[in-house]
Amino acid sequence: MRKRFLAAARKAIANPVLQQALDNNATRRLASRAAAFDSLPDPDAFKTEARHIRQETLAHLDQYLSAFRANLEEQGVRVYMAREAEEACRIAVDIARRSGASHVVKSKSMVSEEIGLNLAFERAGIQPVETDLGEFIVQLRGEHPGHIITPAIHLLREQVAETFAEALGMPYSTDVAAMNAAAHAALRPGFLDATVGVSGVNFGVAESGTLCLVTNEGNGRMVTTLPGVHIALMGIERLVPTLGDLAVMLQLLPRSATGQKLTSYISLMHGPGGANGPNERHLILVDNGRSALRRSELQEALLCIRCGACLNACPVFREIGGHAYGSTYPGPIGSLVSPGLFGFERYGHLTKASTLCGACREVCPVEIDFPTLLLRARHRYTREVTQPVLSRLGMRLFAWAATSPSRFKWLQRVAFLATRLLPRRAGWIRAAPFPLAAWTASRDFPPFAARTFRRRPLQAWTSAPASKDAGPPPTKDLKTPEPSPPPADLLARFAQELRSVDGQFLEAPSESAPEALLAWMHENRVHRLLMDPQVETQFPEISWALQQAGIELVRPHLDAGMDQAARKAALEAYDQVEAGLTLAAAGLADTGTIVQPGHANLASLLPRRHFALLPAKSLHPSLADWLASLQAKGLRSEPSWTLITGPSRTADIEMTLTIGVHGPAELLVVVLT
Amino acid sequence: MKVQLLITCLLDSLFPETGEAVVRVLNRAGLGVEFPPGQTCCGQPAFNAGFWDEARAMAWHTIQVFAGREGPVVVPSGSCTAMIRHGYLELFAGDPEKLNAAQALAGRTYELSEFLVDEIQIAGLPGRYEAHLAYHPSCHLLRGLGVERQPLQLLQAMEGLHLEMLSPECCGFGGVFSVDHAPISAEMARRKVEEIERLSVEGVVAGDISCLMQIEGALRRSGSDARCAHLASVLAMQPLGLR
Repeated sequence: MRKRFLAAARKAIANPVLQQALDNNATRRLASRAAAFDSLPDPDAFKTEARHIRQETLAHLDQYLSAFRANLEEQGVRVYMAREAEEACRIAVDIARRSGASHVVKSKSMVSEEIGLNLAFERAGIQPVETDLGEFIVQLRGEHPGHIITPAIHLLREQVAETFAEALGMPYSTDVAAMNAAAHAALRPGFLDATVGVSGVNFGVAESGTLCLVTNEGNGRMVTTLPGVHIALMGIERLVPTLGDLAVMLQLLPRSATGQKLTSYISLMHGPGGANGPNERHLILVDNGRSALRRSELQEALLCIRCGACLNACPVFREIGGHAYGSTYPGPIGSLVSPGLFGFERYGHLTKASTLCGACREVCPVEIDFPTLLLRARHRYTREVTQPVLSRLGMRLFAWAATSPSRFKWLQRVAFLATRLLPRRAGWIRAAPFPLAAWTASRDFPPFAARTFRRRPLQAWTSAPASKDAGPPPTKDLKTPEPSPPPADLLARFAQELRSVDGQFLEAPSESAPEALLAWMHENRVHRLLMDPQVETQFPEISWALQQAGIELVRPHLDAGMDQAARKAALEAYDQVEAGLTLAAAGLADTGTIVQPGHANLASLLPRRHFALLPAKSLHPSLADWLASLQAKGLRSEPSWTLITGPSRTADIEMTLTIGVHGPAELLVVVLT
Repeated sequence: MKVQLLITCLLDSLFPETGEAVVRVLNRAGLGVEFPPGQTCCGQPAFNAGFWDEARAMAWHTIQVFAGREGPVVVPSGSCTAMIRHGYLELFAGDPEKLNAAQALAGRTYELSEFLVDEIQIAGLPGRYEAHLAYHPSCHLLRGLGVERQPLQLLQAMEGLHLEMLSPECCGFGGVFSVDHAPISAEMARRKVEEIERLSVEGVVAGDISCLMQIEGALRRSGSDARCAHLASVLAMQPLGLR
């Protein structure tokens, strides 16, 4: 395995396309992460708090898991515990079979990669369709993700264009927007007639039984909303105790992963049902080695929230990319969890694929002490897996020599004599035999000293000049200034943040809202609206005015009694409507986010344009404030919630941002004052 | 005041002149220096390679060498200091008696610049160093010990020294990694060399000789004229170039 890793690393280094992509990833991701963290008042305090939350979760995992399960089951979610990968796959395949699925639509899930779910579906004659753009590209090419957040990181737009031309029959084009549009068109029918959707889970909340999914493109919302059956997969460790804890984690995950304050969509899901959601929701909790890892010296690796920041910061990942690691989880976190979950025999060598530089620890949002854990893992590796004879003997010899000064002196002498006649240039050794050959293949090596430090008569050892020299005081200020305080006015802040994520903001008194909306709709040639029923209940005068103006109002409704054909026909009809109008339950000022309850799912997801009404009094300073105002009970009163921060987006092809993927391309928020 | 010098096996075996510079700097700061002759290697290579039994033997040897001697232990290396401060505690975590001894040593062990600036409050040593250098924030010093302000303060106090900063990205040394994973290590060094060339500096200064050995080895191989110097060598006004 180690040989294969080194060969793959060499290949990666020699691949200029990959090198360019990895450089881009490292520099841009780290810069946007740093900028996003600057917007937190005290990033380090947040990280420490997040660490405590995750530590508390792991310390009492059994207790939180049973509360989580009980809360989910009470809401009608079917919960399964899978000890191993095969078991998890079997459960998922059985559910899909029972539902009569010929294909399943999937949003990105690393756990599904880990357990090999796609292969299991294929073997059962069920076609798995990856719908995250990056995963879709990788699946079309028969590859695996090159990064846990950016699956197609290793590809240039030309390669994607070739793949799309071949697999989708689109004319060859390297225009990223055109390629996104092609993926959109290719995936749309699959969304609308899928019986089963499969997703991962970013966090489970124990106290409320909430499944939280963090996405950008809108495909995650599609697969958890449109099909009649939703199967969620989740590692058993991905819990937080409370909603307040979730608010902390959500401040850190998008910032660490993509440099966003919040992603476009955050889904908070409870039971099935409702006119805008699936009829069945299943959760498969996957252990697959986690319990054993939790009992080991690498337990801390389970704090991970899979943000991928350690990959972006890792200088080794930057040289070799994700595939070289040969595991679902590459980079620093992979070098811990791959051996930790899947065995040291197969993956122990990865523990040594690090310089222990600590860049990963520095960016980790839960402050995982990577260098220490990697060292512990190396120790375990040398104990459990037979090491090459030469390195074992070499280390023993060195330790024997270094536990006695006279033997050490002898070793220094041997090193000097043995290297004395090696070829040199300008004094340094140019070529050496084993064990220095690997060094001198690419670097000169300094000569061993004829007279070591310990052999030198060092004058003035203990003498001490009386005066302490005093030089100039330090001049360089290495600390960055504090970020400026947020504007006091919530509305102004909301508008500013919404615009910064490409959303549009309009402020109108309730009575003139219809006028403003109609003007907007006229300008965009919108004649039909997919309606959130709450608009008609809460603002009948608005829906009345729209109808008077000749706008057709379509009220989406998915009935649990519908058969698959009827559900598909309904969805296809809704999908034709040009725009959706919803009433937001809340606005979050510090991120420009609107909060939509589940009954607004379809209206806020299917059309290209999304208009949302937001009463000014529903503005909250932040996500934490909103969650605190609701409490678990209030949150559970809806089968699901979606936090929407700007239009849907992706940057999966060469990190080029495209607005509008599976969700709306335009978001207009009308704040009613 | 008298300090105990832990010279590190690399300075001892490969760069004794740099070791002399360390002594000179400590003397100029008004400090007496003792060199416990029983010292060898702190055990970091074995610790990092996962051979903890061997590492424990070397660590225990080091603890005993310094146990009978009074005064702070000064180490001209971020990574060896981090080894004693953090690594020893990990190694002896399961042995309360030895852990005590390890903690005692860890509590009085300092990296050179950290000791000069934070412990004995030296603002700078008077001196001249006419050169355009880049400071390399070595990983174990910067991220392992949180030390950066201290070496920069000492360097900025040198007259004639024009100092720039290199990025805090690892040079690729990583101990055994440099030969175990030589192709990756070499690429990381190449990236560092490119950065140095872009800055068109005459050389690189850092607080860790291991990183400098990697960087100068790569600079020489690439045909660059830039050379390296340990922090102590610059403070002692030795010429550029490790050997």
